[in-house]
Amino acid sequence: MRVRDHIGLSFANLWKRKLRTCLTAFGVTIGIGALVSMVSFGKGMQKNVTESFRSLDLFNSLTVFSEDFFTGERFDPDRRPAQPLPSGASRAVLDDAALEKIAALKGVDTVFPDVRIPAIVRFNGKDEFRLVQVIPAKVTSSRMLRFSAGKGYASDEEDSLIISDSLLRQFGVQEPQALLGKKMVISSIGFDFSRLNPANLTAALGGERLPFTTEDTELTIVGVAESQAFAGPIPIQSDVFIPPGVSKRMKKLPFSNIWDLFRAREGRLGYSAINVRLSSPAFVEPVKKEVAGMGLRVFALADQFKEVQKGFLILNMVLAAVGMIAIVVASLGIVNTMVMSILERYSEIGIMKAVGASDRDVRRIFFFESSVIGFIGGVFGFALGWAVSGVINRVVNYFLAKQGVPYIAYFSFPVWLALGAIAFSVAVSLAAGVYPAMRAARVDPVRALRHD
Amino acid sequence: MGNVPILISNLSKVYSTAKVRVAALQDVSLSLEEGVFAAVTGASGSGKSTLLNLLGGLDTPTSGTIEVRGRKISEMSREELALYRRSGVGMIFQSFNLIPGFNALENVALPLMFAGVAKRERRNRAGEVLAQVGLGARIAHRPSELSGGEQQRVAIARALVNRPRVLLADEPTGNLDSRTSREIVTLLAELNRDQGLTVVMVTHEESLAREFAGRGVRLSDGKVQAEERWR
Ligand SMILES: Nc1ncnc2c1ncn2[C@@H]1O[C@H](COP(=O)(O)OP(=O)(O)O)[C@@H](O)[C@H]1O
Ligand SMILES: [Mg+2]
Repeated sequence: MRVRDHIGLSFANLWKRKLRTCLTAFGVTIGIGALVSMVSFGKGMQKNVTESFRSLDLFNSLTVFSEDFFTGERFDPDRRPAQPLPSGASRAVLDDAALEKIAALKGVDTVFPDVRIPAIVRFNGKDEFRLVQVIPAKVTSSRMLRFSAGKGYASDEEDSLIISDSLLRQFGVQEPQALLGKKMVISSIGFDFSRLNPANLTAALGGERLPFTTEDTELTIVGVAESQAFAGPIPIQSDVFIPPGVSKRMKKLPFSNIWDLFRAREGRLGYSAINVRLSSPAFVEPVKKEVAGMGLRVFALADQFKEVQKGFLILNMVLAAVGMIAIVVASLGIVNTMVMSILERYSEIGIMKAVGASDRDVRRIFFFESSVIGFIGGVFGFALGWAVSGVINRVVNYFLAKQGVPYIAYFSFPVWLALGAIAFSVAVSLAAGVYPAMRAARVDPVRALRHD
Repeated sequence: MGNVPILISNLSKVYSTAKVRVAALQDVSLSLEEGVFAAVTGASGSGKSTLLNLLGGLDTPTSGTIEVRGRKISEMSREELALYRRSGVGMIFQSFNLIPGFNALENVALPLMFAGVAKRERRNRAGEVLAQVGLGARIAHRPSELSGGEQQRVAIARALVNRPRVLLADEPTGNLDSRTSREIVTLLAELNRDQGLTVVMVTHEESLAREFAGRGVRLSDGKVQAEERWR
């Protein structure tokens, strides 16, 4: 029997039982639709992370910590050091000298300390508590920061700041452009040594009169940065950025976290971390080695990315498994439809065998019918998954946009997903057709043709 | 021996179910020469249909051998039997056994589809054979739109479309009135006479059998009770 006749015959047979065919194919449609939207969600998330890694230059980034950074491990387990300290290397303080040394290494493009100052940001009569990050002018004009309005500051000394668009919305500002050139007040905390005179010392140390004071610094907004859609241990992440020159002039505490104090060695605190940008990802390994040799801990985001990929593999599998449940139910529907069809067409099968259909012909007739159901279900299932994901994507983005989250395409539909969904649907339907097909092939023509 | 196309020796068929064993055919031996029109008669349950189903390759014997035109069908595999049914033999039945959803042309073309013949060729050949049995004007009718006699003609056309040399008819007139019965048997006799087709027909109607057939085989309780030569 020709393939073309098989296809024609199966469509004719399915057409004769339109309602049942539609219902069965609809079951497959829902199953494949669920699977497709699940997988495309997993893939979409993975794509977003990969792309933001790439666009933010994170594959070129290293973060250096002082060796004692492990004290933070208890409180921030994500920031585990990437490798053990080589034996013989002595622990080093993460100070300007270390920074200079790292900056001089081959392949290092930019180095800047990770400084975050706890501060109150005041605008429009509203106060927001934030960690203000200090980043050099050079970095503000790199790929690591994206602007929705304005640009980075021109020098490390100018009295400027950059604000994120999500903080902007907290202040009730809708139009970022209108904000450029406006003044904003940063209120930082510093020591007040006058409170440490001997007369007050006991009270100060007892905690009744703390030796701290606040100081206001007024800065001009020069840029509005896009908020990062994905959080994580990435070097540039804050709602307010200021130049190093301003930071130096500001009254502030030399630490942003009480745990930082445990790092202090003979009164020398150093930086909590140094951010390193390389000119190419090829330098990640050699620079890591050099820095480790200096007695410092070094952490590459590229390494973290591998872990992230593993996580996504698991996420994708879990999502696919959820979709599979729907597929299993749909394939039971196919088995049911095909078995019913055999019972109804019992004498027809007998006739076909009597006029020369082989077991294989009969088997294939049923295989073709179930795979046509699978094909139809696969095509419509993909369309359904695509449509539903589109709606979900819109609704979710609509609500998240109100909270200042930038637009994210949560679903991804690569070509292989469309083809794979249809192929998978046909394959599952073929599997569901095995039992009915075998049963049809075994129909005894003599019994099937007995009319009484 | 050369012109003995159907040779049956010591053929037995036993149906065994959980409770009973029915010997539908017991040690039947029979030979029919090429181009014969044979009538098989006998009471209901005497094994006529069983004999025809075995001859037609629809069923396999419990013991004994069947040879049709030199091919030992009693030893064929399922696959070979399908091929034999497709083009070695044609069968018609009391209840016509047409596919209700197909029109006359499609029903007749069905065996050609299993033979892998292209669609256009199938239609041409099916149309020709339908014209031969006098139904050239009815090709687009469904079985439900045809009379009993017309349906049986469609069934005959389907049985002959792959040009077998043997036609087996199991009570082809059982559902027809006497005038139509006569027309159908006349058609079979013509095919036998004009094309040299070997016809084996099971029938209840002794008079029709004697009028048209050349040989008579009477079965009783699964055994050959009498063999007659009428012409
Ligand atoms: N599949 C079967 N299982 C059990 N017994 C059967 C089966 N087919 C036929 N028989 C029995 O075999 C005998 C012969 O049947 P059959 O050849 O159909 O008779 P006929 O066609 O002469 O009326 C009958 O007794 C019938 O009941
Ligand atoms: Mg019978």
